Amino acid sequence: MPALAELEPLQLLDTAAPAGMTLIDRYLLEQQELSAVVRFSQRHEAHELPLQARYYSELLPASPPGPGEQYAFEVDLDSCSGCKACVVACNSLNGLDENETWRDVGLLFGGSDAEPLLQHVTAACHHCLDPACLNVCPVRAYEKDLVTGIVKHLDDQCIGCQYCVLACPYDVPKYNAARGIVRKCDMCSNRLAVGEAPACVQSCPNSAIRITTVSRQAAAENCETGVFLPGAPDPQYTQPTTHYKTNRVFPRNALPADYYSVQPEHAHWPLVAMLVLTQLSVGAFLVELLTQLFFDGPGLHSIRSAHAGGALLFGLVALGASTLHLGRPHLAFRAVLGLTTSWLSREIVAFGAFASLAVLYAGSVWMSDATAPATRSMQTALGTAVVLAGLSGIFCSIMIYHCTRRRLWNGAATTTRFLLTTIVLGLATALFTTAIGAAFSSAAGTAAVASGFAEIVFPGLIVAVACKLAFEASLFIHLRSKQHTPMKRSALLMTGDLATAAKWRIALGVVGGILMPAFWIWQVRQTASASIFSHVLLTGQFAALLAGELLERYLFFTAVVAPRMPGGLRT
Amino acid sequence: MKIYEREGPLTRELLLTPGGFGLGQVPQQARPDATTTMTCGYCSTGCGLNIHLKQGEAVGLTPATEYPVNLGMACPKGWEALAVLKAADRATTPLLRNERGVLEPVDWPKALTMFVARLRAIQAEYGNDAVAFLSTGQIVTEEMALLGALAKFGMGMVHGDGNTRQCMATAVTAYKQSFGFDAPPYTYADLEESDVLIFVGSNMCIAHPILWERVLRNPHHPQIIVVDPRKTETAMQASDHFAIRPKSDLEFFYGLAHILFEQGWVDREYLAAHATEYEEFAAFVVDYNPQRVAAATGISPERLFELARMIHEGKRVSFWWTMGINQSYEGTRAAQSLINLALMTGNIGRPGTGANSITGQCNAMGSRLFSNTTNLLGGRDFENAAHRTEVAKILGIDERRIPNQNSWAYPEIISGILKGKIKGLWVVATNPAHSWINQNQLKDILGRLEFLVVQDMYHTTETAQLADLVLPAAGWGEKEGTFINSERRFGMVKKVARAPGQALADFSIFKLIADAWGVGEMFRAWDSPESVFQIMKRLSRGTPCDITGIRDYQMLDDRQGMQWPFATGESSAEPHRRLFEDGQFYHPDGRAKFLFESPLPMPEPPTPEFPLILLTGRGTAAQWHTQTRTQKSAVLRKLSPQNAYVELNPADARQLKIAQNEPVIVESQRGSLPARAFVTPAVGVGQVFIPMHYETVNELTDAVFDTYSRQPSYKACAVRVRRTGTTPA
Repeated sequence: MPALAELEPLQLLDTAAPAGMTLIDRYLLEQQELSAVVRFSQRHEAHELPLQARYYSELLPASPPGPGEQYAFEVDLDSCSGCKACVVACNSLNGLDENETWRDVGLLFGGSDAEPLLQHVTAACHHCLDPACLNVCPVRAYEKDLVTGIVKHLDDQCIGCQYCVLACPYDVPKYNAARGIVRKCDMCSNRLAVGEAPACVQSCPNSAIRITTVSRQAAAENCETGVFLPGAPDPQYTQPTTHYKTNRVFPRNALPADYYSVQPEHAHWPLVAMLVLTQLSVGAFLVELLTQLFFDGPGLHSIRSAHAGGALLFGLVALGASTLHLGRPHLAFRAVLGLTTSWLSREIVAFGAFASLAVLYAGSVWMSDATAPATRSMQTALGTAVVLAGLSGIFCSIMIYHCTRRRLWNGAATTTRFLLTTIVLGLATALFTTAIGAAFSSAAGTAAVASGFAEIVFPGLIVAVACKLAFEASLFIHLRSKQHTPMKRSALLMTGDLATAAKWRIALGVVGGILMPAFWIWQVRQTASASIFSHVLLTGQFAALLAGELLERYLFFTAVVAPRMPGGLRT
Repeated sequence: MKIYEREGPLTRELLLTPGGFGLGQVPQQARPDATTTMTCGYCSTGCGLNIHLKQGEAVGLTPATEYPVNLGMACPKGWEALAVLKAADRATTPLLRNERGVLEPVDWPKALTMFVARLRAIQAEYGNDAVAFLSTGQIVTEEMALLGALAKFGMGMVHGDGNTRQCMATAVTAYKQSFGFDAPPYTYADLEESDVLIFVGSNMCIAHPILWERVLRNPHHPQIIVVDPRKTETAMQASDHFAIRPKSDLEFFYGLAHILFEQGWVDREYLAAHATEYEEFAAFVVDYNPQRVAAATGISPERLFELARMIHEGKRVSFWWTMGINQSYEGTRAAQSLINLALMTGNIGRPGTGANSITGQCNAMGSRLFSNTTNLLGGRDFENAAHRTEVAKILGIDERRIPNQNSWAYPEIISGILKGKIKGLWVVATNPAHSWINQNQLKDILGRLEFLVVQDMYHTTETAQLADLVLPAAGWGEKEGTFINSERRFGMVKKVARAPGQALADFSIFKLIADAWGVGEMFRAWDSPESVFQIMKRLSRGTPCDITGIRDYQMLDDRQGMQWPFATGESSAEPHRRLFEDGQFYHPDGRAKFLFESPLPMPEPPTPEFPLILLTGRGTAAQWHTQTRTQKSAVLRKLSPQNAYVELNPADARQLKIAQNEPVIVESQRGSLPARAFVTPAVGVGQVFIPMHYETVNELTDAVFDTYSRQPSYKACAVRVRRTGTTPA
C-alpha cells in the first residue's frame, strides 16, 4: 500500500455539471445559492398589519393614558416560567448590538424543603415617576413623556458620562462603548404609538408581561410602602411604575440568586485619576495659600512658584483625565445644560472656574515674588478664590456620588474620604514641590526655609494619613456584621477579589505617609540637620502616597455595591 | 456640534419601520423583501420561524404567528437561531491532522482522498465492521437517510448509531414493545385539551418552553401534576408536585396502578378490546401497596391515593415524560409504567390523553425512522429478511448489501473501540467528548481509534479537537430538508444563509463521499434532499409512518408541516392529528401490550464516601446541550451562568459547612468538577443537581445503561461535595 500522503487526490467528475467542473466545484457553487425565496416565499405576500396582534391585543391598554396617568409594565410573576425569550426578542426586534440587553431576568429563591421558591423575575426600565437617570443627566438627554410617562433617552444628546448608569438603582441604562453613549428601554414607544406591543410583550409565550395605564398618584403611593419586589432596591428613591403581580406569598427568606455573590464594579480609571488629582490640586493650592500667608524668608519665591506650578500641573492633568471618561468628549460643553439639576454639570463648571483661576494665580506667582503688599494681597485674594472654587468642585464631586444612594458612597463618608485626600496629597505635593523649588533656588538659606517648612508639614502629614487609613480600615468592621449588608459586601470584596489592591493601598499609605515622614523626623532629630532632606526620600514618599490614593479611589469604585433588580445565579 | 440634539444619526440607528408581511415594526436596517417559514433547528418542539429575507438572505427572524406548533412564540434559542451561524469558529475548510499532530487546512479533494484511503485501509485490515459512524438528531431527515444508506449499503459498515441514543432510545423501545411501533401518539393540541396533565421527569418550562406555552393556553383549568425529585420551574408552576426519591419511578407508578386496580378505577372494557397481558400486570402490582411505595418513594399513602383519584376523576388525562424517565438504567420499564397507566384508564386515542414522550433534538424523530441505524429505513428491522428484500427493491440495490444484523448501540460502539473491534469512527454533528457518559474514559477510548473523522459546523467542539480529519459542514438554515418533531410533524428547513468558506451541506458531503468511495452510482437517484424525500415516501409505504400522501416540499410548506401518517388518498387538512383513535395498535394482534418488571436497585447508590445522589438536566432555556451553538450567541451567553454550579440542599450545605456561592469540588469515583454552590431547598436532602451543559459534568456520571434501550443513565450516580481547598472527609 502506498504511503497515504502520496496518494493522488481523487478527481470527481460530474456528468451533470459543465465540462471540467468537478462535483466538488458544483456543490461549493450550489452551497452559495439561496433557494428559499424562489421555492417557498409565496405564502407571505399580503398582510400589512401585524399578525401577532391577535395574541398581544389584550395585553395592551384599551386607551392611551389620561391626565395623571402613564403607561407601565405589569408582570404576572405566576406566569413567568423563566424562559427569557423577552430578553432576546427585545434585542432582536429592536436591532440592538449583539450583546446589548435592555431587559434582564433574575431569580428569587428560598423557602423551605416543604415549599421551595424558584421565581424568575423579568425586568426592564421601570419608567419611574422620579427617574434618577433623568435627574442626574448633565446634558438633559432624558425626557419623561408628558402623556405616556415613558422615560426616553435621547441618544444623540448623550455625551457618554455614564452618570445615569451610576444613579439608576435598577441598572437600566447600559453604556455602549462602541458608540460612546448610553442606551436604554423606551417601552418600544414607537410601537406603542402605532398600537403595537413592545417586543417583550409580543414575545412572552405565557403573556406574563403587559402594558397598563396607571395613575401616577397611585403608583407614587405604592412606592411609599417600600414594598416593590423582594430583593429589589427601595422604590421610594425613584418611584418605579412596574407592577409585579402574584398570588403567591413569598417566603421571608426569598433572596435574589446573586445575593451572595460579590463582584467588583467597573473601575472607571479616568474618574479615579480625575478625582484624586483634582483633590491633590486643590489641597496643594490650599497649602500654597497658607505658605504665602505664614511663611517668609529667602528663596520663598522659588518654593512658591514650584508649589503653584505643581498644583496647576496636576489640576490640568485631572481635567484632561476627566474627558477620557466621556464617551463623546467633544460634546462636553453640553454639560452646562444641566446646571440647575445635575451635580455633574456643577462639578464641571466649578472645576472649570478652579482651573481658570488657578492659571491666573500660578501666573501671578511666577511673575512676581509678592514683596509689594498690594501684590501680596491680590495674590491672597486670588489664592483664596482658587481654593474656594476648588473646594466647591470637591463638594460637587461628593454630591455626585452621594446622590447615587450607594452605601459606600454616602455623603459623610465621601466627604471624609475626599477631604482627607485633599489634605494628604496637598501636603505631600507641597513637600515635593518645596524640595524642587529649593533645589532650583540660588538664594542663600533656601534650604533652611524648606527644612523649616518640612518640619511643620511632616507631622501633619503623618496625622492626616493615619486618619485616612483608619477611616478606610473602618470598613472592615462590617465583616463582623451578621447580615449581608452592602457595607459587608464591600468589605468582602476588599478582602476577596480586591484583596491585592487593598493590601497595596495600605502598604503604600503606611510607607509613604507614616514610615518615610517618621524616618525624616527621626533623622532631623538625630543629626539636627536637614541634610538628609533628600530628593529621593521626598520623591519616594510623594509617589507612594499618590499611588496609594489612586488605589484607594480604584477601590472606591470597584468595591461599591451597586443596587440592582434581583439577578440570576453568577458563577 | 449643536448644544441640543433630540434626533440624529444615533437615534436613527434604532429606527423601526413597518416590516410588511404581517410582521409589524422591524428595525429599519433589517426590513425584509420576502419572508418564509421554516422549522427551528434546536429542539424537538419544532417551532415555525418566519425568516426575514433580503435578496434571498436571512436578515432576521420572528416566530411564525400561525404555525400550529408555537403559535407566534419562540424560546431564546429560536430567536437567536441565525446569530450562531456567523460564529468565528465555524469550520470553513477541511482540516487534517499533520505529522506534528496539528490540524491543518486541506482542500476537499485531499480530505476526501484521506477519508477514503484511511477508512478503506482499516476495513481491509480489520474487516468492514471495524469502521462505524455516530450520527445525530440535528441534521435533516434526508441527510440521515443518505448517511445511513451510504454507510451501511455503500461502505459496508455494520455499526452506526445516533446521539439520539442519549435522549430518545428509551421512548423508542418502550413504544415499540408496547404499541408495536415507535409511535408517540399525541399532538400538541392535547396539551390544551387535557383536564389532568401529569409531567414526569420533565422540566418543560426550561426544556420545552413553547410546549409550556401550550399548557398555559389550556382553557379547562387543568390539574397540572409534576413528578420530579427536584422542585423545578415546572414543579413551581404546577398545581401539585410529587417529589419522589430519585429512581423510585417504577415503585411510584406501580403503586398508582395498584390503587387503580384495587379501586376498580380501570377501563376494563377498553383493556379487553385493545390490550394484552394486563391481567398479569394487575397481579404483578398487587405487591405495590401504598405503604411499600411510601417507603420507596417518600410519598405518603394519602398523597398517592389523591393522585390516583385525580387520574380516575379526570376525563382527559395525559401523561408526559422526558429525560427524567428516558435517561435511566430502567427507563424503558419506567416509560411503560406510564403507558400502562394510560392504557388501563382508557386515556389514549382521545383528545387530551396519551402516554406521551417529549423528544429532545429537532430531528430525533427523523433519526428514529430514517437514520438506518437501529432500524432499517422506515422503522424496519435489519434481521427481518422480508424487510430487507422490500428495502432492496425500493432502492434498487443488491439485497446482500443490507446487513442482516442489527447495529451495535452507541455504548457498544464505544466499548467496541475499547476492545479494538472498531478502528475508524465517523462522527456527524454531535459532540460525544462532551456529552457521553463517563467522559474521562471516553476521551481515552477515542484516543485509541486509528482514524476519527468529525463532520461539524464548528471546528472547536471537544470532539473535533480530537479528530484526525474535520469536515466542515453547513448548518441549519444553510441547507434544505425536513425535520420531524415530537408530535410526528414533518417541517421544512430551508436555505436562507450562505455557509462560510468551503463548508458544505452534510448532504453534499455524503454525496461526495459516495462518489469518492466508488458507490456514486448507487445513489444516483438521491440527487437532492427533495428527491430523497420522495425515496423516503416510497420506503414508508404501508408502514405505520406512511407519508405517501405528502406530495412534496411545497405541500409541507403550504400546510405548515404535516404529521405522519399521511398515506396516499388521505385528505384531512386537520392540523392536529393523534394516533390510536380506532384502538388499533401496531402489534400483529392489533393490541397494546403491558410490560412491567420489578425495579432494580440503583447501580451506584450513595455510600458513606460518596453520600449524595447527582442529578443532571437542563439548566436554562438559553442553553442547548453541549452549548456548541448557544455559546456562540452573545445574548444567550448572558442568560445563563457561565460556569458550573451545583444545587445543594441547605441541610447538606450546613453539614458540609458550605456557604452560599462558595467554590466547591464535586467528586464521583470517576472524576471531579469545580463548581459554585447554589444552596437551595429546590433540591432534596441527599441530592445535588448540576446542569448538563458544563463540559466536565460527564466526568462524574457512571456509564450504566438501560437494559433494553441502551440509553445512558445520566441522572443518578453517587458523588460527594467539598469546599475547594479542603480534603475529602
